[in-house]
Amino acid sequence: MDMNEKPKVEEKVEEKVENAQPVEENKPELPDTTEGKLVEVLLEKAPYAEGEVIRKRRVKFTVPAERIHEFLELASEKFEMLMQISVVDWLKEGQFEVNYQLWSLSESVHAFVKTRIPRDDAKLPTVMDIWPVAETYEREAHEFFGIIFEGNPRLGPFILEPREYEKHPLRKDFNTLSYAKTIYGEDFDRFDESKTNYVI
Amino acid sequence: MADLEVPKELKEEAKGHDMYLHPIDKDTYELFFGPQHMATENFSIILKMDGNRIERAIVNPGFLHRGFEKLSEHRPYFSNIALILRICVPESDVPENIYSMAVDEIVGWEVPDRAIWIRNVVLEMARMSSWLFWIMGFGNEIGLYTAGQWAAAYRERFMRLFEELTGGRVYHIYTVPGGVRRDIPGDKWLRQLRDTVEYIKSKMKDFDEILFDNYIMFERTEGVGVMDKKFALKHAVTGPNLRAVGVPYDVRKDDPYYLYDQLDFEVPILKEGDSLARTLVRRYEMEQDLYILEQLLDMGPPNGPHMVQDARLKALPRFKPPKGEAYAHVESTKGDFGAFVVSDGTHKPYRAHFRGPSQSHGVTVLEELLKGARLADVPVILKTLDNCPPDLDR
Repeated sequence: MDMNEKPKVEEKVEEKVENAQPVEENKPELPDTTEGKLVEVLLEKAPYAEGEVIRKRRVKFTVPAERIHEFLELASEKFEMLMQISVVDWLKEGQFEVNYQLWSLSESVHAFVKTRIPRDDAKLPTVMDIWPVAETYEREAHEFFGIIFEGNPRLGPFILEPREYEKHPLRKDFNTLSYAKTIYGEDFDRFDESKTNYVI
Repeated sequence: MADLEVPKELKEEAKGHDMYLHPIDKDTYELFFGPQHMATENFSIILKMDGNRIERAIVNPGFLHRGFEKLSEHRPYFSNIALILRICVPESDVPENIYSMAVDEIVGWEVPDRAIWIRNVVLEMARMSSWLFWIMGFGNEIGLYTAGQWAAAYRERFMRLFEELTGGRVYHIYTVPGGVRRDIPGDKWLRQLRDTVEYIKSKMKDFDEILFDNYIMFERTEGVGVMDKKFALKHAVTGPNLRAVGVPYDVRKDDPYYLYDQLDFEVPILKEGDSLARTLVRRYEMEQDLYILEQLLDMGPPNGPHMVQDARLKALPRFKPPKGEAYAHVESTKGDFGAFVVSDGTHKPYRAHFRGPSQSHGVTVLEELLKGARLADVPVILKTLDNCPPDLDR
């Protein structure tokens, strides 16, 4: 079966490359696997995004923040589940990297959908209308990083105490030690901030 | 009973959280369920009750938050193991394993065969002891205490095996990036493990008689907390809860790690989606886990080192992986448990984010399932969803 199928697929790929050569010159070639095809199909519908295959069952997309909702709506056809929204704070670049982690039940592929937003104006549209579970993840990201997900009605204190709510403790410029000192005061006198040995 | 005066500040703070601290009107009232209630395990639910029925439920987590993600950014890669395994207490090997798998991928280490075999056995032992722990909690919730006490006693056997293998009973600090911390104690340990597996296999019949095939269990769980397939997928419910609505998603089959692609096991599914289906799926999975452990023991540990041979491992605190990121996930008894680790080339992780399975089924799903349920069903729904608050709070 495999022997018979392979040449057909190669022919198809060659045809496509011939037709679209001037546009796709800079784009890296996608491998001829399930993952590669999945990325190719999605990128055809969404030419503004970039996609690549990391390894078997792992793919990655980079999407501009303005079109993230549109892209995730397209992606939700193949990727049925939103597993997590993880935020990485790139302090030096002044940006938040928001990773939407999707899982495709039908193809067994895990996808990162990455987008970057400025730290001082961190706003994104909510994806609750696509996956209702996003509510929880967005509440978490909002509380720990201060990203505002427009359209999510439940943004507010969630896991942390109300006094910690406006602080956004998972940002890289949040100083855990000095915060603990202001809250616990005298109990923290035995710690010396100038020492580098402390791991807190 | 005289009306208790609630301080004004407390009232205002409560109002900000959508709570009122007093009867809302003549028929409805507010009930705080947890965090001190046995069934909720450091978790609180605010219930708006109409008589015996729940009108609305608001999940109120945060009684456990220990900030592991922030703390892990301040510790070297290998020190983090002792920290993050506390995320999921009943099966502490799961966070260890996913974190180690992600770091392995960033560094590009190929873990030796012997370490992979040991890790796989440890993961399955953790799953087994976690099922027994779950039976303990679930049995207690529905009043079948005997089953719970048996389960606790059988779990003790796994605890002892873990103690001999790792030195710890609950927190093992055993799986580290690059392999496992030390080798198997010897053939005697393997024989003891086989004995334990056979012993628990023989006791499954007793569990059936007293718990899974019990009239009380059926009365309490049938038709309670029903979820449908579309709802479960949209809410990214994973693990036995998803399999109870008829979706055969199991990380061990769909994204095989370690030796699972060489092992022969089934993914049990049921279609009803109620508490009974969730309970029975768990019971079938216990059987499969015992079968997997038997197969692994038949396979036997391959010869070779139990750690990657790498010169960088000699100076552990200053060990620096290259820049990169990785996501690893395994099937835990609660669902799909994942870790996302980002390295910026220094000796500490730049970011470590964990996907606890309870994050998806512990907040919105729980709130939806509790709507219209009776007060007595709250522990049953909580326990059959297998909500683990530390997954959510971290």
